Amino acid sequence: MDEKAQKTIAGVLDKRMNRQLLYYLDICTRCSICKDACHQYVTTGDVLYLPAYRAEIIRRVYKKYFTRSGKFYPALSEGSEVDEKLLDELYKTTYACTGCRRCMYYCPFSIDTTWFMAVAKAMLITAGRGSQILAELAGAAVIKGESIDLFKDIIIEMLKDTEKELQERVGNPKANIPIDKKGADLLYVALAGTHTILPAAVIFHQAKANWTLSMFEAANYGYFLGDVKQAVAIAKRIIDEARSLEVKEIVITECGHAYRVMQFLYEAWAKEKLPFKIRGIVELMAEYIKQGKINLTQDKIKEPLTYHDPCQVGRNAGFYEEPRYIINQVAADFREMTPNREKNWCCGGGGGLVAQPDLDDFRIKTGEIKVEQIKKTGARIVVSPCENCRLQLDSLNEKYNMGIQITSIMDLVANAITI
Amino acid sequence: MAEDLKVDLELDLKGLLCPLPMVRVSQNITKVPVGGIIRAVATDLGSLADIPSWARTTGNEVVKTERVDKEIIFYVKRLK
Amino acid sequence: MDWFSYLVAGILVYVAVAVFLFGTAFRIYQWFRVTRSSVKLGLFPRPKSTLGRGFKLVKDSFFYPQVREVDAAMWIFVLLLHLGGIGAFVGHLRLFNEFTLIANALGDEGMAQFAMWTGGTVGIVLMVSVTYLILRRFKSPYKDLAIPEDYLLLILVLVILLLGNHLRFFGDIHVAEYREYIHSLLAFSPAFPEAIAESSTKWVLVSHVLTANLLFIYFPFSKLIHAVGTFAGNLIRSEV
Repeated sequence: MDEKAQKTIAGVLDKRMNRQLLYYLDICTRCSICKDACHQYVTTGDVLYLPAYRAEIIRRVYKKYFTRSGKFYPALSEGSEVDEKLLDELYKTTYACTGCRRCMYYCPFSIDTTWFMAVAKAMLITAGRGSQILAELAGAAVIKGESIDLFKDIIIEMLKDTEKELQERVGNPKANIPIDKKGADLLYVALAGTHTILPAAVIFHQAKANWTLSMFEAANYGYFLGDVKQAVAIAKRIIDEARSLEVKEIVITECGHAYRVMQFLYEAWAKEKLPFKIRGIVELMAEYIKQGKINLTQDKIKEPLTYHDPCQVGRNAGFYEEPRYIINQVAADFREMTPNREKNWCCGGGGGLVAQPDLDDFRIKTGEIKVEQIKKTGARIVVSPCENCRLQLDSLNEKYNMGIQITSIMDLVANAITI
Repeated sequence: MAEDLKVDLELDLKGLLCPLPMVRVSQNITKVPVGGIIRAVATDLGSLADIPSWARTTGNEVVKTERVDKEIIFYVKRLK
Repeated sequence: MDWFSYLVAGILVYVAVAVFLFGTAFRIYQWFRVTRSSVKLGLFPRPKSTLGRGFKLVKDSFFYPQVREVDAAMWIFVLLLHLGGIGAFVGHLRLFNEFTLIANALGDEGMAQFAMWTGGTVGIVLMVSVTYLILRRFKSPYKDLAIPEDYLLLILVLVILLLGNHLRFFGDIHVAEYREYIHSLLAFSPAFPEAIAESSTKWVLVSHVLTANLLFIYFPFSKLIHAVGTFAGNLIRSEV
């Protein structure tokens, strides 16, 4: 790699520098408390996955190119040149990180590893070494946004079947799944496919909500890829749709990162203030139940059931009580995992890992802790309000022969409604 | 008609949820020669829009889409 | 004062204090020079009131309770190290001025005993905890992650402690003489009183001051800056 290329890649660090990242670069003492916090380090024992080491790779580049100490006494501070070996390490450790921020919880200085991962991804993309599959998925989402008219008919076609199912479920031939409905109160953003549309439609139907379905999926592969421009473009499809339909709020389906991108990142990234609220469907369902808008009249589930706090829903977004409230309404034998809530272990599937086939074995291996946690509860059903978690839990269920059932909160609620 | 297309690789994507149908097609596209065709059978309705947009991003082509009951059959041609 | 002592225990002390103060201020300025990202990503649950955030900040920065859950030994030794550091700082203040309140209550002999026990305990505790950290650094994965700075700082601190403890336990210099020396520094005319100049432990004292000077000079430019930065990091933890 020539010097110019090295400087360009290292330069990303300078361009993306902000005060928070600079604190984190300066204050880590490499005490490695984070080693016991990361499921990937605990299950592999590979220092590459130790959170402080992930950050240290970036810190070495920073010292080499941007500090006096790196220039005057590089041996003391261990600055590193940007070379193929460093980029290899960076790729491996960065795209493997699920962004669960359990390390931040345990860090005595609250260092947030995801800030390092974000800048690492930007460096890799500049080096032409971003994750190819995530780039393809992000690209596909952007294309869909640019040429939505081409896809609209396909979506309407797809919804016809789902609508029929809905009508059967609720016993009302007029029940429908509205799209493109101007003046709706809420725009519901589901995932590609219908498994997150049908249960929501059942719930909205009973709650008599004035809703409309987004033509776009909530998932944001631009975020996982680490390309802010693409992440904004993908989120903006939904924002623009909400704006033109003049809705009062956007309700995101059970998808951890999608909610976080919309609620905590979009405004800062796009430098615009949103004229509507962002909510998660779990919050809304809990509200419907409390207000008596939906009646959960089916008998409570008797089988033991446990709840997996998705990192992006719990630790990183603060929804601990709403899911538990709903679960207790529909299940008779709810058992907590240990640890849970802000200390819960990551399932191993977040951060776009489930979409990266080269990490399949790795995420199965690093899901060991979650498997043990679930086994200890003796639960036969695992509920989790995050698509990434559920996909990972499905894989774990299969590979470890757990014989459990994995479900969403929406499905639990929709099944508990008798029409 | 399907018989007109010479299929180089069959993919069974039934039961897979988004984004996995797209991921599997992407993973396997290099296993067929340029100009070759993958016949992928999916059940996730989301793939109806996803796989064509993936093809456009990557410069490949969905030459034909069929629906048989719950199954969606894509014929994806590798262009590069 | 001989020329070497004058240089190290005189001039260099001023340099060290200046570098420490201005260096730390400069590092803080460096942080504030960079634009703050408007992305706010605190962890949940988080206190909602400003007062609650303040309490949490103090608790997290001084006691890091979550560390205890994953590595209890480390938590205890690090807590001891930091408390010991504060203890040593307070103890050294006696070299500026007698703690008259305690001294009056205990009497001269009692005060000497008291200082011996408290100072001695702090000195030993510090040595033990630093030794623990050094030994830990030689184990995986800590050594895989370590950079020379990590060892250098610990060893420097250990040397300072060994010399300090030597002065406390084996030295023949007493508090009044130290105070005279410190006051000479404060008056900008550094000098050793006769009792120090002629003492056999003078070179231990000079070495203690030298290594302490080095630590102060290195402080702002090393990871020790976490002493300041920890408040910034832990404040981000509860922001939204």
